[in-house]
Amino acid sequence: MQLSGLEMRILSEVKKDRWYTPEEAEEETGMSRDAIVRGVYSLREKGLVELDEMERISYELTEEGKEVVENGLPEERVYRFIEEKGEVNIREISKKFSDEVARISLGWLKRKNSIEIRDGKVIPIRYPGTEEIDGLKKVMSGESLNNELFAVLKKRGFIEERKAKELRFRITADVELEKEDLIGDLNPSILLRKSWKGKKFLGYDARIPSFVIYGGKIHPYQRIIKEVRKIFLEMGFTEIKGEYVQTAFWNFDALFQPQDHPARDMQDTFYLREKVEIPRDIALRVGEVHETGGMTGSTGWGGKWDIETAKQLVLRTHTTALTIHYLAMNPEPPVKAFCIDRVYRRESIDATHLPEFDQIEGVVMARNVGFVHLLGTLKEFYMRMGFEVRFRPGFFPYTEPSVEAEVYVPELGWIELGGAGVFRKEVTEPLGIKHRVLAWGLGLGRLAMLKLGLKDLRALYQPDIHWLREVPVCLW
Amino acid sequence: MPVVTLYFDELERMVGVSREKIIDALPMIGSDIERIEEDHIDVEFFPNRPDLYSVEGVARALRGIFGIEKGFREYITLNAGYTLNVDRSVEKVRPYISGMVIRGIKLTDEVIRSLIELQEDLHWTIGRNRRRVAIGIHDLSVIEFPLKYTTVDENFSFIPLDYSYDMTVREILEYHEKGIEYGFILKDADRYPIILDANNEVLSMPPVINCERTRVTESTTDLFIDVTGMDESVDRALNIIAVMLADRGGTIYTVDIVEGDRVRTTPDLSGREMEVTFTDVYELIGTELGKDDIRDALERMRFDVKMDENRITVRIPPYRADIMHPWDVIEDIAIGYGYDKLTPEYPSVSTVGVSHPWEDFKEALREIMTGLGYLEVLTFTLSNERIQYRWMRRNEKNCVRVMHPISEDHTIIRTDLLPSLLNILSMNRHRALPQRIFEVGEVVEDFRNRLRLCAVTVHSEASFSEIRGVIERVMKEMGVEFDIDNGSDGAFIEGRCGKVMVEGREIGVFGEIHPEVLENFDLVNPVVGFEIEADRILSMKSGDIEMIF
Repeated sequence: MQLSGLEMRILSEVKKDRWYTPEEAEEETGMSRDAIVRGVYSLREKGLVELDEMERISYELTEEGKEVVENGLPEERVYRFIEEKGEVNIREISKKFSDEVARISLGWLKRKNSIEIRDGKVIPIRYPGTEEIDGLKKVMSGESLNNELFAVLKKRGFIEERKAKELRFRITADVELEKEDLIGDLNPSILLRKSWKGKKFLGYDARIPSFVIYGGKIHPYQRIIKEVRKIFLEMGFTEIKGEYVQTAFWNFDALFQPQDHPARDMQDTFYLREKVEIPRDIALRVGEVHETGGMTGSTGWGGKWDIETAKQLVLRTHTTALTIHYLAMNPEPPVKAFCIDRVYRRESIDATHLPEFDQIEGVVMARNVGFVHLLGTLKEFYMRMGFEVRFRPGFFPYTEPSVEAEVYVPELGWIELGGAGVFRKEVTEPLGIKHRVLAWGLGLGRLAMLKLGLKDLRALYQPDIHWLREVPVCLW
Repeated sequence: MPVVTLYFDELERMVGVSREKIIDALPMIGSDIERIEEDHIDVEFFPNRPDLYSVEGVARALRGIFGIEKGFREYITLNAGYTLNVDRSVEKVRPYISGMVIRGIKLTDEVIRSLIELQEDLHWTIGRNRRRVAIGIHDLSVIEFPLKYTTVDENFSFIPLDYSYDMTVREILEYHEKGIEYGFILKDADRYPIILDANNEVLSMPPVINCERTRVTESTTDLFIDVTGMDESVDRALNIIAVMLADRGGTIYTVDIVEGDRVRTTPDLSGREMEVTFTDVYELIGTELGKDDIRDALERMRFDVKMDENRITVRIPPYRADIMHPWDVIEDIAIGYGYDKLTPEYPSVSTVGVSHPWEDFKEALREIMTGLGYLEVLTFTLSNERIQYRWMRRNEKNCVRVMHPISEDHTIIRTDLLPSLLNILSMNRHRALPQRIFEVGEVVEDFRNRLRLCAVTVHSEASFSEIRGVIERVMKEMGVEFDIDNGSDGAFIEGRCGKVMVEGREIGVFGEIHPEVLENFDLVNPVVGFEIEADRILSMKSGDIEMIF
């Protein structure tokens, strides 16, 4: 018969033919309770141990019971109130406490002969007995108490029954351990003295689980980000980063979002109270395009553009606030840049909406690129992420033409995963960007849900440590 | 974006093809299909195409896409001398107005439903919840021309829609359902816009409510429609409604809008022209489409097309207010041609990949921490003063506060990571110990992002010496010279707190978390932890990092 190290230890350290609870065995051997239970069950399989699983009923205090131990019985409070007044109307008690407390307490006070009720008036006689509290304390410390009191505690809902399985075991069989001849754990002295030579090693059963080991590891979401970063870097893109706090100018105005656009509402965007200065010459050029189209050949939005509105600080609603700023500062082609970072939308939290999440964005600015090159870039990008992609018209206020990318997911069919387009002239020209800009973006959350099989986005940012420990490093 | 309900029987009848083909084509003109039911389909159209917010508009577009009816659909307008005089006093409160008369329309349930939905969707989208544009629909038979658009004071009274007695303007704004809903638009006004007929009978008080007298019923065949607002969008909205009703067989009569000595005639359904060069088409699309293909694509998108050697002149349908720039026409060429027929091309743009130093450093920190057995977590950056400061026994810092938080849990952007990690431990109380977690994350100080590394350990024997060992190892792995000194911080037990010094400057803190803090986070096992200003270390080693925006 093969025994595991764990089983060996139990057999050699626990006395034969005596009933043990795991706790007793724990005390005697110094092994953990978990290990003992595991070992005992596997020893039973081998017929070496007898198990006895009894259902034991115990009693515990309910929330109400705990409250009573801490603050006394409700009828005590009611009695004190009555005593203070000398004589009280029942209605007054209901008003002071609740109807329910008044009803129950008066019932018990009467039963305990603590009060008398005459003509709707309550007259105090003597302070009510509090043997319930002593009883509860006994229950807490596991002492026994008389049946009558026990019934009262149960009736008053101060205690509740708990059924627990109690495990006992007894080693039944004699196993010839031949301790002398078998080597269990190796140690330096055995190795140094070479005393293992000529001896047999105790065999362990590899099929029996040992203790659980958790290692440190990277968040699975971070691993997806790393993959995407790698794709961008391999495709020759420069990584950019920026502040969470942006001006409305870079977040909206520079992207030709009209100032009365609903996305700019307080409803959808987190605004800060503060304003900061913005580069005036660029701002005025952008403003002119908003109003009249300026030199871009566009009609513009009409109306007045207000520079003060553009100075307002916001929590960036998209990473495009960064890419457009980067392009404005680097107008010489070619530029290929990407960004994977946090953005904010004023959304209430549920399984598929979060007020902050991460976005992936890429831009290509070069001579002689157009819409078909955007499609080609997208095809390559999505292919590297493991998706087949197809395109249909889309709409974004700052791109023209615009396109939505759909990817094929076997379980779901074609699903939308990102938007793209060529930046409008109204966006690029006032910023001094002379060449066409291909841009695309997608929500990382959606991607992570697909790759990790998550149903709830919150799991990413409020992680369950158990999930983090169990989700495999390699996702295929 | 509005979701438009389209009934298959209407749509099939108006387009002239089967529902299967329609369902396939809808996404290709720019929409998201929300759901498909037995008798109808719910479709979300993009906000740049309010002309598609009715079954008539969708049918018009689809007939083009299918090639059943191509090019510009002509709309005839008649002038029967209808006049509307504008008083200058409206300038301050609601300056723009357009109007039209439609005669001989059969208001079946189908038409009424479509008209009301279109009106609502336009109010919501281009109308910006009636603030920018509001539409009023009236029974023409009770109206005497010429009309007058003027203002009145708050004591002026009339019978508003759905009521049987006179109410003053003030009463309407205070008690009438629509007054309560839309009164905010007029909250700063001292005089209120009103449309009156020749007998000084009220038509409406835009943008709030019509009067009961001009109510439209099933027997109405002739309509007057007014559109008031804050800018030229009133004409866009009017045109979209005009073509919808004309598609249903109504005859459109123009209204002369008289403003002083200026007269505008609305609606103008003749369409604008725009020029687009072939070079622009080829460059933006990135490939040379054939001229016939371009013409065909534009005609499918309902443009009229003229071409010469170098340029295309299109006549833009009057309902297409989204065409602001020649590139908008080029997008329509691509859509009309079909995105699926374009061949994607990978651009030959040669650049090298460059990673950001922060992200590289974050990778290194992750390697250090996972090597020490720590599990990475990610947390929200939105937090609140309670968790960040009060629960931590720390003084409030100068942090970024959002103006309209979604809840009291998300009022600020965090200035420290440690509270976020304690929060994660709190959520994971039921999970097996020991727990060792870390985050490499960003916080915001003085509106600037800062990079931090934070780690915490919880188990029954978590001790100061454990975290002292960890921080020392972490600092050594970062390859910087450092000193460790005694520190003081409300979050840690007094006398069990250390600080990490680099180049004479404090860049980190560690120690054993104060029991009061543990209690705040509902933790019953000792916790030790540290937090380091990682970006400072990076700057000391590699100079200032570009974080310009």
